[in-house]
Amino acid sequence: MSSKFTKEMVDDYADKLLIGLTEEENASVLEEFEVIDETINTINKIKDIEKVEPMTHCLDDFTYELREDEPEESCALEDILRNCDVTNGREIEVPKVVGE
Amino acid sequence: MKYMNKSIEELHDMLIKGEVTSQDLIKESLEMSHKIQDECNAFVTILDDAKETPVTDSLLSGIPCGLKDNYSTKDILSTGSSNTLKDYVPFFDATAVSKLKEAGAVFVNKTVMDEFGMGGTGTTGHTGTVLNPWDKTRMTAGSSAGSAAAVAAGVYPYATGSDTGDSIRKPAAYCGIVGYKPTYGMISRYGLFPFASSLDHLGVLTRNVKDAAIVVDAMKGLDKNDMTSWDSTNIHLKESLDGNVKGKKLCYVKEIVDLSNYENPSPELKEHIANFMKTVELCKSLGIEVEEVSVDKTLLNASAAVYVVISCAEATSNMSNLTGIIFGPRGKGDNYIEMMKDHRTKGFSPLIKRRFVIGSYVLQSQNQERYFRNAQRVRRLLVDAWKDLFKKYDGVILPVGSGPAKHLDGSKDILDKDTVVLEEHLQIGNFGGFPSITIPNGFVSKLPVGVNITGNCYDDANVLNIAYALEEAMDYKNQIAKEV
Amino acid sequence: MGKYKAKIGLEMHCEISETKTKVFSSAKNEYSDEANSNIRPVDMAFPGVLPVVNKEAVRMALMASMALNCKQPEYMYFERKNYYYPDLPKGYQLTQETKPIPVGIYGEVTFECEGEEKKVRINNLHLEEDAASLDHYDDFSTIDYNRAGVPLLELVTEPDISSAAEAVAFLEHMRSVYQYLGISEADSKKGQVRCDVNVSIMDANLDENDPQNWGTKIEVKNVNSFGGVRDAINYEIKRQTKLKENNEYANMEQQTRRWDEESGTTIYMRSKVDAIDYKYFVEPNIPKFKLSKKWLDEIKSSLPRLAYKRKKDYIEKYNLSDYDASILVKQKDISDYFEKTVSLGCDAKQVANWTNGMILSYLNSAEMSINDFFLKPEMLKQLIDLINSKTISTKQGKEVFAKVLEKEKSPEEIVKSEGMMQITDTSEIDTIIDEVINENPSQVAAYDPERPKILDYFIGQIMKKTRGKANPSVASKLMKEKLDKIKQA
Repeated sequence: MSSKFTKEMVDDYADKLLIGLTEEENASVLEEFEVIDETINTINKIKDIEKVEPMTHCLDDFTYELREDEPEESCALEDILRNCDVTNGREIEVPKVVGE
Repeated sequence: MKYMNKSIEELHDMLIKGEVTSQDLIKESLEMSHKIQDECNAFVTILDDAKETPVTDSLLSGIPCGLKDNYSTKDILSTGSSNTLKDYVPFFDATAVSKLKEAGAVFVNKTVMDEFGMGGTGTTGHTGTVLNPWDKTRMTAGSSAGSAAAVAAGVYPYATGSDTGDSIRKPAAYCGIVGYKPTYGMISRYGLFPFASSLDHLGVLTRNVKDAAIVVDAMKGLDKNDMTSWDSTNIHLKESLDGNVKGKKLCYVKEIVDLSNYENPSPELKEHIANFMKTVELCKSLGIEVEEVSVDKTLLNASAAVYVVISCAEATSNMSNLTGIIFGPRGKGDNYIEMMKDHRTKGFSPLIKRRFVIGSYVLQSQNQERYFRNAQRVRRLLVDAWKDLFKKYDGVILPVGSGPAKHLDGSKDILDKDTVVLEEHLQIGNFGGFPSITIPNGFVSKLPVGVNITGNCYDDANVLNIAYALEEAMDYKNQIAKEV
Repeated sequence: MGKYKAKIGLEMHCEISETKTKVFSSAKNEYSDEANSNIRPVDMAFPGVLPVVNKEAVRMALMASMALNCKQPEYMYFERKNYYYPDLPKGYQLTQETKPIPVGIYGEVTFECEGEEKKVRINNLHLEEDAASLDHYDDFSTIDYNRAGVPLLELVTEPDISSAAEAVAFLEHMRSVYQYLGISEADSKKGQVRCDVNVSIMDANLDENDPQNWGTKIEVKNVNSFGGVRDAINYEIKRQTKLKENNEYANMEQQTRRWDEESGTTIYMRSKVDAIDYKYFVEPNIPKFKLSKKWLDEIKSSLPRLAYKRKKDYIEKYNLSDYDASILVKQKDISDYFEKTVSLGCDAKQVANWTNGMILSYLNSAEMSINDFFLKPEMLKQLIDLINSKTISTKQGKEVFAKVLEKEKSPEEIVKSEGMMQITDTSEIDTIIDEVINENPSQVAAYDPERPKILDYFIGQIMKKTRGKANPSVASKLMKEKLDKIKQA
C-alpha cells in the first residue's frame, strides 16, 4: 500500500500548489494519506456507492433568485490598492509575466 | 469583574435603566481583554479605541463583544490568524459584522483562531497557541479558540465564531460555554474568510442559550451578496424560547455512545459517557422522549475521512487567492511563480500546507472519483441518515468529544488512525447544514464537558428551545471559567 | 491538400458585451474604461467575497444556447477551474466544463461558406468569466482588473470543419448570431473574440467517420482574430502535411501550440502529457438553479430571426438578389430597418435599393449607426411614396434625401418648403399654357400637328416659367391638345 504515495509525488503536488514543504511536512502528509486511503477503501466497499449522487452543496432543493443586472458603484481605487505592496499608477505591478 | 459576567438581557436592562453606560462596559471589557490576552493569548487585535454606541431597543446596543479574526472588518486588521494576511486591513465589513453594527454592538477585539479555521486545537494561529482559561496546560480546541476562551473568561457576553467541522461547538464544550451554529445560510457568509465553502457556517459563542438566540437573531438574514443565504424573517429565535419541551423527541446514536464500541476506554471517556447518560435522564425528566437509535457503522467511521477530503479540497481552491499580489505581504522572486510560492511557503503553517496537498491530490482528475466524489456521496448518505432520524425526532443528542479539553503537549491535529467517531460526529451537522448547539453539561476531571443537540434544517427555534429547557435544568448556565 | 484532408475544431470565446454588469459581480461590464475603475470586491477576490450570478448574463447565454440548437440543462450551476496565473485573482475561473453543467449541450449550426450550406456540430456552449488584463513593460507587468469577471461564452465545436475558409465563415456566422441576439458586438478588434483551434490531418481516402483514421490533434491557442484563425489553420495544415511527407508525422505527439501573429507561425508550448490538471469541481457557493420551463419558453419566444433565416426569406419572399439580401442581413440593425419599412407597406425591392444604396453609403461615410440615423423607416416610406405618386421625380428624390438629412426635416416638409413639388395640376398648367400661347403668336401659327417638333419649344417655355416643376408629360399632352384645337378653329 505504501508504494502508492511517494515523497516525490507529495513534493510535486506541493510545487503545483506553489508551496514548499520541509522533509518533516512531507513525511506527515504521507502518513495522513495512508489513513485517508484506508478509509476510502472502506467507502468504496459501500454497496452501490457509485449510484449515489455526490452532494456538492450544503442545502439540496435550494431555491433563490438570480441577481438583477444593475450596476453598483465601483470600489474606490485607494481601497482596492491599500493592501497591495507593489502598485504602479492605477494598477498592480508584478514581475514581468512571460509565457502563455 | 462587575458586568462582563452578566447576560445580554441583564446588561441591556442596566443600560436602559442608566445603571451603567456603554463606556463603563467597554472599559471593563478592554481591561479583561488585556488580562486574558496575557493569560491565554486569545486575541490578534485589541481595539483599545472602541467607541460606545447609543443604547437603543436593540438588545445588543452598547454591549461589547469579540469577532473571530476571519470576519472581514472594515479598517480593522483581519488576519484569519495567518501570516499570509498578517497585515491585511479590509475595506469592507462582512455582512454579519454590518448587521451587528446596525444592532449597536461594540467590537472590542478580534480573536485568535486556528489558521483560517483549519484546525481543531487553537494552536496553529500565527500569533501562537490559545490557552484554556480553566487550565492553561490544556487546549481550548478550535478553531474558534480565542472567542471560546474570552467568553468563558468573562471578557464579554458573546463572541462570533465560524464552524466548518465543529469549530464553534467543540471549543464551547472545552471551555464550558454555549456554542451555536445555525442552519447553513441563515447567516450570510459574505466577508467570512472561507475554509470549505460547502461546510462553512457562522455562529456564536455565549454563556447561555438565550444570548445565542439574541445574537443570531441580529446576525441572520437573506443577503444579496451570498446566494446560499435565505430569508428567515419569520424565524424569531429569542422569542420562540418558551422552555416548553414536553412531548419533544430526541435520540442518541448507539454506535457513538455505547462504550463497547471503544477498545480500552479511558476513565475520562467512561466518566464523560456516564455524564452524558445523566443528561439523557434529565431530558426524560423534563418530558422529552429520548431513544437510542442505530446508524450504519461503516458510514459513521467514514465521516472523518469524508470531512478531510471535502474540506481540504475546497480549502486548497478557496485559498488560491492568497498569493501576495493584491493583498498580504509580497513574496520575493524574479518571476511571478517564485514570488507567489515565496509568499505561500512563508505564509502558511505546516498544517495548512499538508491539507492543501491532500486537497489537491483528491481533486486530481485521476483521483477525483475515488476520493472526492465518493466522499461527497458518503456525505449524502450520512445526511440522509440524519434526515431520516429527523423524521421521527426533533433532534439528535450526543456528547461532544471524548472528554474534557486535551493537554496541549501531544496535540497533533493530524487525522489519527484511531480517531474515534466520538471526536468527529459533529461534522455531520456541517455536512447537512443542520442547526447545532453545544451546551455545558457537567465536569469531568474538574474540567467542563459539553453536550450537543442537532436538529433538522430550518428548525433552529426548536433545537434552541430544547437546549434552553435543558440548560435551565442544569447548573452550568452563565458559568465563568475558574482556574482549576 | 489532395492526399490529405483536415479536421478542424474551434473553441470560440466571446465576451457578452451587452449586460450592464459582470457575470458574478455588480461592477460595470465595461473594461475599456480607466484602469481599475469598474471593480467590486468580488473581482479582485478579496478574502470572504462570494460570486452572485447575473440573471441577464444567464438569459443571454441561454439565448445563444437556443440559437445553436443546443439542449439546455435542467439546473444551472458552475465549476471551478483551478490554476495559478497573475490575471486570475481567485486562483480559479468559474466555468461550466463538465456535462450536464454547460448552458448549451450538443447542438448544430448551419451556415454558408462560399455559397454552399455547411453544418457544424456543437459539443457545448458554456458561460464563464474573463480574466484581468495584463500590460507588459520591459521589466514588469501591470494588472487591470476591469475585465476580471466580464461574462464570456465559450463555444466548443466538434471537428467538423475542413478548411480555413470554412472556419472563418463559421466564425463570421457566429459573430452575426451573437450580434443578432443582442448579446455581443463580437468585435475581435476590441478583444471580444478569442479562439483556440484544433487541427489534425488524415489521409483523404480513409473514412472520416471512424475516429481511428483521424490524425494527431494539435491545439493552437490564443488566436485572436479571424485572419489569425485562417492563417494558423493554413500554417498547421502545411506543417503537418510536411511532417507526413517526411514520414515524421507518426512521431508527433499530441500537443498544444501557440499562434505567433508576428512570425505567422505556431510555436510549441507543451505536450499532452504535461497538460495542466485543472481539478474541476462544482462551485459550492452557487446553488443549483432550476431553469424553469416558463423562463426558457419566454426566452425562446424572444429570440429574433437570425441573419441566415432572414436572407432566405428576402430571396424567397421578396425576390431580392442573393447579393442584396446578403448586404441587408449583414447587420441586424440594417435588416430591422429594412423590415420595418417594408412592414409599413413599401415595396421590398424599392426599400432594398434605398437601404443598400443611398442609406448605407451615407452611414458608411458618416461612420454612423442606423440607430442614430435621422431618416426613420416612416420617412423612407414618405420619400418612396412621393416618388411613386410622381409628386417628385426619382432624381428629385435623391435631392430630398440629402436635404432631409441636412435640415433634419421629413421628406414631405422638405418637398413643400423647397418648392420641389412637381406641378401635375392641369388647371395650373392650363393657365401657363395660355400665357405661353399668348406670348408666342408666330410659333403658334407655325404649329403643324403632322410635324409636332415645335412642341418641344413650347414645353421649354413652360419649364422656363415653372422653373422645371411642371410635369413634362402632363404639360406636353395638354399643350398638344390646345394647339390642335387652335389649328382646327
